Amino acid sequence: MSILPLEGIRVLELTTGAAGPTVARVLCEFGAEVIRCETRLRGDGHRGEDPKLWNKKPDFMKLQRGKKSFTVNMQTEKGRKLVYKLAEISDVLVENFGLGILEKWGLNWPDLKEINPRIILIRVKGMGCTGPHAADLTYGPNVGNTMATTYLWNYPGATTATAEPRTQHPDFMGGVTGAFGVVLALIQRKKTGRGQWIDSAQQEIGASILGPKYLEYTVNKREPQPEGNRSLIAAPYGPYQCKGNDRWCVIAVYTEDEWERFAALLEKRGLKSDPKFATHLQRVRHKDDLDKWVTSWTIQHDPYEVMEMVQGIDVCAAVVQDVEDQFKNDKQYAATGFLVNMTEPEAGDMVTENVPVRLSETPGYVRGVAPLMGEHTYEIAKNLLGLSDEEIKQLDEEKVLY
Amino acid sequence: MANAQRTGPLSDYRVLDLAGPLGLHCTKLLADMGANVIKIEPPAGDQSRRIPPFKDDTPHAEKSLYFLHFNTNKRGITLDIEKPDGRAMFLELARKADVVIETARPGKMDKLGIGYETLRAQHPGLIYAAVTPFGQTGPWRDYKANDMAGIALGNLLYLAGEPGEPPLQPPGEIAYGMASTYGAFGIAVSLYHRLESGRGQYIDVSMHECAGHIAGYFIPNYGYTGAKPARASRKGEETDLYDPYATKNGYARIFIIPVEQWRRLVDWMERPPSISGPEFEKMSYRRQHPEIVTKAIAEFCARRTKEELYDEGQKRRIAVTPINTAGEFIEMEQTKARELFVDMEHPVIGKYKQFGAVPRLMDTPGGIFRPAPLLGEHNDEIYRGELGMNTDDLVALRADGVI
Repeated sequence: MSILPLEGIRVLELTTGAAGPTVARVLCEFGAEVIRCETRLRGDGHRGEDPKLWNKKPDFMKLQRGKKSFTVNMQTEKGRKLVYKLAEISDVLVENFGLGILEKWGLNWPDLKEINPRIILIRVKGMGCTGPHAADLTYGPNVGNTMATTYLWNYPGATTATAEPRTQHPDFMGGVTGAFGVVLALIQRKKTGRGQWIDSAQQEIGASILGPKYLEYTVNKREPQPEGNRSLIAAPYGPYQCKGNDRWCVIAVYTEDEWERFAALLEKRGLKSDPKFATHLQRVRHKDDLDKWVTSWTIQHDPYEVMEMVQGIDVCAAVVQDVEDQFKNDKQYAATGFLVNMTEPEAGDMVTENVPVRLSETPGYVRGVAPLMGEHTYEIAKNLLGLSDEEIKQLDEEKVLY
Repeated sequence: MANAQRTGPLSDYRVLDLAGPLGLHCTKLLADMGANVIKIEPPAGDQSRRIPPFKDDTPHAEKSLYFLHFNTNKRGITLDIEKPDGRAMFLELARKADVVIETARPGKMDKLGIGYETLRAQHPGLIYAAVTPFGQTGPWRDYKANDMAGIALGNLLYLAGEPGEPPLQPPGEIAYGMASTYGAFGIAVSLYHRLESGRGQYIDVSMHECAGHIAGYFIPNYGYTGAKPARASRKGEETDLYDPYATKNGYARIFIIPVEQWRRLVDWMERPPSISGPEFEKMSYRRQHPEIVTKAIAEFCARRTKEELYDEGQKRRIAVTPINTAGEFIEMEQTKARELFVDMEHPVIGKYKQFGAVPRLMDTPGGIFRPAPLLGEHNDEIYRGELGMNTDDLVALRADGVI
């Protein structure tokens, strides 16, 4: 195996939720050693409250795979001092607790840089570290409310805010963007020898892809409204119902050439195109009739048949997959090995998502299972902190290494 | 501010940007972190100049607000890489670049004679990123996919919308965004590696796989328990209080997980008898009695504005957020306090506010230094100033439709 780019980088993680753990997880896949500090006093949101299930959660596995677990009680001064010692020999500290916690622990940037001026601190917060709402209690799925994702994710003309975003892109895109920021700070450190801190707001990262919507407001001075599945640059466009229960296939026809091939495909099957679909403008104007015509064909077929036939004429098509489809019917995931099988020591067989960015010289990979609660406490106390067996036993009894 | 000095952690690096919509956020991330990004458009203009919305609803190559957002800080040149002279000039530009990014169909760049192997042979330190719908391998690699297709295959579309209605597309382009973000991360980590090794590499990003990372925990959960959620509002599933509640002026959402938050909510509501019993402290019990819980909270919310609920709820350490419009987000105190939108000036758009740079590195912050380029705006600066071409060359190239 080649040497990974972040080999030799040690990441200390003081996190809960998903966005903070994702920053460290992505760094881990490219070679970083990640020490996740946690406590047996209480499992975090993804380990859960029941100690019997701490090591058996699939969501925890997704977030924490490949990391080490070091149990330490941050309520105690001794515990905090041990973490200061780890910070001295670490390159990165990732945290995403509510604003004020890190300060209370004496690990905020002014203190931390005294401990280790080369360290990079990333503070992941729903709303960022400054401003009147910096201390907000947020979770990935409800960050989308403030930045207009929820408002805009609706059917046109909807009068109630009911369409529910199930995505957590402020968590996962936030996490990967945070990892990007950390690597940029590492690049900078090569030049200056100094670390720095990063204020990473999930809301701002999630919002960054909605820029054109905000420009509707700042340039055109009006509120953008929900567009549902509408497009002006493609027709047909959207999910079309197929044979089966709640089965759909997305089709998107952009160019005149694509339209000719698509119309010919349906006409060959006896579905005559209407003259009012002759041009793109007319297809956009007559979208409802066009959609009916397309559906009269798609409804006869399994969604994968539709996808294969439409892709066969070089036009965009994609099955609206559910998670079962991703496991059983997605030939691409099967061929590229996207679903990775792992065996957790207590939970048994689990499946996780592979690294979706493949580097030819230094390919990152899923480097191991998620740690059991406290699995590496002894190893880290002994090898990194230089504590004796006796001291470790004592600190365990005092509920410090706990 | 417009036309300020380019700064940021990537200010030493030069990037050639051939990306279509799938990779625009990737090169924007690099450009906003200071990279010297040169956007290469075909002489007729990038396809993203035709994507709505437009300023004043006037379709025009310089008025696409989509183009305006995703191309900040990039310098723009026109070049037809399918013509022999264009190819030669691209090779010359690539010799001086640190990073090349493209979103072409697999094999296309090789066919044009400007693929990775050719570029690497002349410059072993080059980092080359291909951000594509399905990556460079597998049975679907040649398939076409837009953002909605990525969202569909990634199990995000199926789950969004109301039962009985068609699946519902999210706003923004989340699959493009995630693929672009992973691309930017791959490039950053390759640049870091190159500082030690001196070697570049090839980066293969699949939007399809990136989209597979966004949809919460459905893949690991299905892999472990076979659980398969259906399209439905989230009521009663993961958290009992996920529904939006109508307020005096729009909607707010309350998100309760730990029991302390539930207790704080009930206290704030002055302990209505219908939900104050100890049995309601259990999430499982609340889920079994949504009609009681929802009714009490709905009555409480209906008497307040969403801003009152947000401010007071957060003060009480309860995860309440308002369901904002775009304008309400831009006008939020938090957005203003963090100066998230910055003043810009563009020759055609005029003065306006533009979304700022993320993430925020405190010692070496990026920024928005210039607005999106006009078509061919930097041809002279780059061809004359950096490739050393003269007026005769440029006139000849223009006559031939190369630039």
